[in-house]
Amino acid sequence: MRTYVKFTAKAFSKQLAYRSEVWLRLIGNFVTVLIQVEIWRAVIGSERIEGVTLEQMITYSIINTLLLALLLHGISGKVDESLKSGSIASELIKPISYPLFLLFDGLGNTLYQLVFTVAPSLLIASLYFGMMPPASWTHLFAFLLALLLALLISFLLGYLISLLAFWFMNHFALSWMLGGFITIFSGAFLPIWFFPSSWITVANLLPFQYMGYVPAAIYLGNITTQELWQVIAVGLGWIAGLLILVQWLWTRAVKRLVLQGG
Amino acid sequence: MDIISVQGLTRTYRQYKRFPGIMGSMRSLFTREYTEELAVRELTFSIQEGEAVGYLGPNGAGKSTMIKMMSGILVPTSGELHVLGRVPHLARKENAMQIGVVFGQRSQLWWDLPVNDSFDLHKYIYKIPDATFEKNLAFCLDMLAIKEFIHKPVRQLSLGQRMRVEIAMALLHEPRILFLDEPTIGLDVMAKDQIRQFLRTVNREKKVTIVLTTHDMKDIEEICPRMIVVNKGELVYDGSVTALRKKLGNERQVVIEFREEPGLIDVPGVTLLQEEGLRKTYLFAKSELSVFEIVSQIAANYYIEDVSIEQADIESVIRRLYQQLAANRQIG
Repeated sequence: MRTYVKFTAKAFSKQLAYRSEVWLRLIGNFVTVLIQVEIWRAVIGSERIEGVTLEQMITYSIINTLLLALLLHGISGKVDESLKSGSIASELIKPISYPLFLLFDGLGNTLYQLVFTVAPSLLIASLYFGMMPPASWTHLFAFLLALLLALLISFLLGYLISLLAFWFMNHFALSWMLGGFITIFSGAFLPIWFFPSSWITVANLLPFQYMGYVPAAIYLGNITTQELWQVIAVGLGWIAGLLILVQWLWTRAVKRLVLQGG
Repeated sequence: MDIISVQGLTRTYRQYKRFPGIMGSMRSLFTREYTEELAVRELTFSIQEGEAVGYLGPNGAGKSTMIKMMSGILVPTSGELHVLGRVPHLARKENAMQIGVVFGQRSQLWWDLPVNDSFDLHKYIYKIPDATFEKNLAFCLDMLAIKEFIHKPVRQLSLGQRMRVEIAMALLHEPRILFLDEPTIGLDVMAKDQIRQFLRTVNREKKVTIVLTTHDMKDIEEICPRMIVVNKGELVYDGSVTALRKKLGNERQVVIEFREEPGLIDVPGVTLLQEEGLRKTYLFAKSELSVFEIVSQIAANYYIEDVSIEQADIESVIRRLYQQLAANRQIG
């Protein structure tokens, strides 16, 4: 385990080399939240829609925007790059688990974003737009759990896409599709409670809501204490299911592995 | 016991058919026609612990494919392969713990970390005990003269420096086998010498089995008593370097310096290879007559200033072997 923690530390310190990016990220996060807040201000005004207040929507937008910076589905780009350049050979030659290496390497980046962009963005946003406190201590605890679920599910989905790339030798279309699904079904932009009922059913059958809607709704208390543990349990179920799928795909993907060059 | 055993090993690649032009690329969206390319064909050989084997063959002979299969990162299509008693791709991680791999054309170092951080990370990845690590590191740093650039980030190293670091890294965890895929490619003479000397020491004194692919015959001459030659995926020679030389090296190259232009020399079995004015290089085919007898025949008819006989070096032996293979293929 210490080995993998080293990978996290390495990825973290590698990011430090690109510190000028921090300012751009801070501005980007601020503008993204600002746009959403303005839209909800125009839509909701001083009333409530489906029992949701503007204040809640602001908090929802802040959580979702910042959560997106922490998610790990971007690792498929990294795998794709090492597949194309053939540098995956150097990674597989080491006595380490490839997915765990990817996970911990990705966590280094997440940790970096958390410290240098998400935490300051959160401070700025809550000062400028105002942010509601979590619904209760239980909800705060469940929210933190939901964040972990979001990280793991986003990682597994990204990894799944990269394994599929072993067959297609091109991950662009796949990750584009994944991005689309995440934007819509995570509820990152439009919360799932505003969806028409048939689409709510679809969203509930997919894992994407754990990457946006679920953590934010838990934080706000829109998911009751009774439902909470059920939601978390289903999330864990998704993780287990994805793990099995990914394991199975890996054993088949390795056989297809064609190492490029040299 | 065999440390590596290969039996009837085959690896094919699918090459999807592409059709030319825009219409053609539309067509390849719907058809999945492919041809099977054989990279390794029915190979059989075995390697004993402590050997140093040169694995060579022309470009595209399937050398890298073989190294990748032995290191467990490429799955064979058929046949049997055992490294240290295991099937490498089924026990990739266990296998990785006991082998070292160096790719001459691909770095395994962490690009943006200083050299000693790379070593340190390596220690964790391979779970090397402190004492072993310190001892092996000291040995490598000393023999490969790495100390002077140990604090530099890897991306700032010259190719020669980087290669020395790659090789040192591959040995820190005391592997029983060291695979090297073209370790001296693109290096200058000094760097090559240093690496060869180091590898020889590692093989002779530390008893690490070495398998290396190369295009530089000096690598083979100085490190490997045994060589395996492959061509188009097939084994064409497996044996000692000296035996191959005996088999193919019966021809002699003779350089004759004439006093005046001799014109065409008509002696059976003698072909002109090269001429620089009056200094001409001839190839004497294997024949009943000795080299001296042929030279004296020539000397009887022409004024000769000087004669030198050169033994065919390993490079020309191999060249002959490849030429023979190409010729056989055309006939067959």
